[in-house]
Amino acid sequence: MTMLRAERVTLGYGKRPVVHDVSLDVTEGGVGLIGESGSGKTTLARAFLGLLSPMSGTIWYGDQTLKSVDMRKFRKDVQPVFQAESLDPRMRIGSSIAEALPRAARSRVGELLEQVGLDPGLAARRPHQLSGGQRQRVVIARALAVGPRLLILDEPTSALDVTVQAKILDLLAGLDTERLLITHNLAVVERLCRTSHVLFAGRVVESGPTADLLAKPAHPYTKALRDAVPKLGGPPPEARGRTEAVPAATGCPYRLRCPLSVPECEQAPPLRALESRQVACHRAEEVLLT
Amino acid sequence: MIEVRDLRVSYGGRVVADVPELDVREGECVAIVGESGSGKTTTLLSLLGLTTDAEISGQIRVCGVDVLTAPPRRLREIRGARAALVMQSPQAALSPATRLGVLMRRALRLHGRPATEPAMAEAMEAVLLDPALLRRYPHEISGGQAQRFAIALAIALGAEVILADEPTSALDVTVQAEVVGVLRRLRAERGLALLLVSHDLALVSTIADRVLVMKDGAVVESGPAPEVLAEPSHPYTRELLEALP
Amino acid sequence: MTATGAPLRRRLPRIPDRFAALGAVIIVIVVLASLLAPWLAPYPDDPNPLESLQPPSAAHWLGTDKVGRDVLTQILYGGRTSLFIAAAVLAVSAVVGVTLGVVAGYAGGWIRDMIMRVTDVFLAFPALLLSLALAVVLQPGVNTVVLAIAVTWWPWYTRLAASVAASISTRSYVDAARCLGVPAPLIILRHVLPNSLTPVLVQISLDAGGVILTAAALSYLGLGAQEPTAEWGLMVQQGQTLFTTNWWVVTFPGLAILVTAFAFNVLGEGLRNALDPRRAVK
Repeated sequence: MTMLRAERVTLGYGKRPVVHDVSLDVTEGGVGLIGESGSGKTTLARAFLGLLSPMSGTIWYGDQTLKSVDMRKFRKDVQPVFQAESLDPRMRIGSSIAEALPRAARSRVGELLEQVGLDPGLAARRPHQLSGGQRQRVVIARALAVGPRLLILDEPTSALDVTVQAKILDLLAGLDTERLLITHNLAVVERLCRTSHVLFAGRVVESGPTADLLAKPAHPYTKALRDAVPKLGGPPPEARGRTEAVPAATGCPYRLRCPLSVPECEQAPPLRALESRQVACHRAEEVLLT
Repeated sequence: MIEVRDLRVSYGGRVVADVPELDVREGECVAIVGESGSGKTTTLLSLLGLTTDAEISGQIRVCGVDVLTAPPRRLREIRGARAALVMQSPQAALSPATRLGVLMRRALRLHGRPATEPAMAEAMEAVLLDPALLRRYPHEISGGQAQRFAIALAIALGAEVILADEPTSALDVTVQAEVVGVLRRLRAERGLALLLVSHDLALVSTIADRVLVMKDGAVVESGPAPEVLAEPSHPYTRELLEALP
Repeated sequence: MTATGAPLRRRLPRIPDRFAALGAVIIVIVVLASLLAPWLAPYPDDPNPLESLQPPSAAHWLGTDKVGRDVLTQILYGGRTSLFIAAAVLAVSAVVGVTLGVVAGYAGGWIRDMIMRVTDVFLAFPALLLSLALAVVLQPGVNTVVLAIAVTWWPWYTRLAASVAASISTRSYVDAARCLGVPAPLIILRHVLPNSLTPVLVQISLDAGGVILTAAALSYLGLGAQEPTAEWGLMVQQGQTLFTTNWWVVTFPGLAILVTAFAFNVLGEGLRNALDPRRAVK
């Protein structure tokens, strides 16, 4: 079932678009948005949260658009989990969580803290008195307070120590909400998302089942991302192509970086079906084989 | 290049780093691994005498200079020149209104080295940067380029050892791969020694010869990287390894 | 490179910190002395023609003025007026300016444009000139001085608060509150305003000296506080013609203005350095 859908969405600040004509569905089983800085993944997340209106295109929530939907209900159903820094530094933990609750339900703060594995006594503390992992748990508790169906997670673990990261991932995996996960970390996506979309320069370059994407990438960028991740005891991570090349303004945005670039790439490749995934590359068949 | 014995760094009586032994030889890469608060950065900074208000005991020799007893003039000689420090976000350390070329020329003059165009271009090429970038301002280059420029600066100054504090953790993975590639090449081609501080065990495993694992200011385990990572003897190292996604 | 720069920068703030502490001490002394003027003043605040233009002596430490008032007494009472003007101007400016500023900064779009255009209009007038015009139209006096200066002062706070609030509004905790459905006025009140106040407080401290100087200038031009109210600027104005013959009448109130303005300034600078995250020490 699709909860949120972006239909040919172009997003930007001012007049400059940073996400171009993107269509994707947030379906069950976890959806990952993978991209590096500047890929537009956070901008897309803000649009899904109703914090940013599309310059063109539509965001659908069920059979209604975000413009026409009852926002009170939407806010109850869809909640963000930002990084641990998304707590007001001046506010006590309890007040931050209580902000999500109706006055009569303020007593649930302790219960929510327990649900994310924290001592209810922490409610009286301020964010700087907590560790990064504890703060991240509080952020999750605040999102859970309204009983959401879908969590939009924006790099929920990337600022944390690895041992803490693992515990937060356990917590997230155990929640009975659906999730859209925005991250640059392929390993996190692998664990939490059935489907993934790889973004480059504001465009979807490859989508499909996460396992297939990582095992056999069909887009050179997906492959470069995968090979750049260092593996324990593995070979040194490899840089494919030139990472400093700016995205191309016309044609395939990746062509200036791409080691496989051919003259044909000056024509923008359409997103097309290939085996189990969608991919935007003229030479996807060759990438699949290597 | 670096020789440390019984190093103990404390602030107001509280020990934040206790390192019995740490050696980095020419062409070798040693990594200090740990999570926040483990004392790994403090250890690195103390090697160049950059910890302020800290009580330090033990012995530190960097490029043959006894850091704890050397006069300030001798310290300046090794800092930034023979032993270069590369931080997590170098852009913050680059003066925003100065072109990279001017920055490099000034740094070279400061350390009494000839600031010729070919020398500067060679340093840039050693880190796979286009020498044309020397005409840009710091905000006109990317994070990965800034990090490689910091390394180029070290190369130009004739650094024998690079001390790097999380040099790639603020970078995208593909850019990280490139910076790591540059460091490995410099090591192989120039015999550069590398002391790397990182939280990323997977990254460390692909580049380091030896590893020190730190927790709460103490070294809990150390040894050749393949051994420590394949058969960790300390439970904390095991926990770190298991946490890897 | 960083290697040599880092430790130096960490050592620097200590020197201005001492200045800031000195500023704070001076301010406390000036405020206490002014508040306790009726008890501290050696003479009543009345003219005494028999004692006119006495030079500094054991009886009159700072001498007497043309109508025989003790200068020290006048400075103590005048401090009340000058400090009241500064406090009133800054309170009015900050309340008006910050309120408009945080709304503009949070809302953005046409609301911000509208508010900023209005402030631009006020900023377009030279501050002293607008104050002068107002002082001429209204009755000269302390309240007029407060109003005249406040009218030209608040737009700076709007600008400052708007830029700070705009940056605070992009923080993820504000986004999180919006996603929870917290209404905009509450978000401004709970999150944006409290987190925007620090730079405003610094600016208030930096500005206090300026307000005292402006008030003194208005008095000096005869448009501020009027006789028999004691006020530092008024004292300087009345004493200026006597400078060559009776220097003490103008010098001591002038010094009071200078020292107080200086104290507020160094305190403000110190606060700014202490609160600036870029200069914060771990």
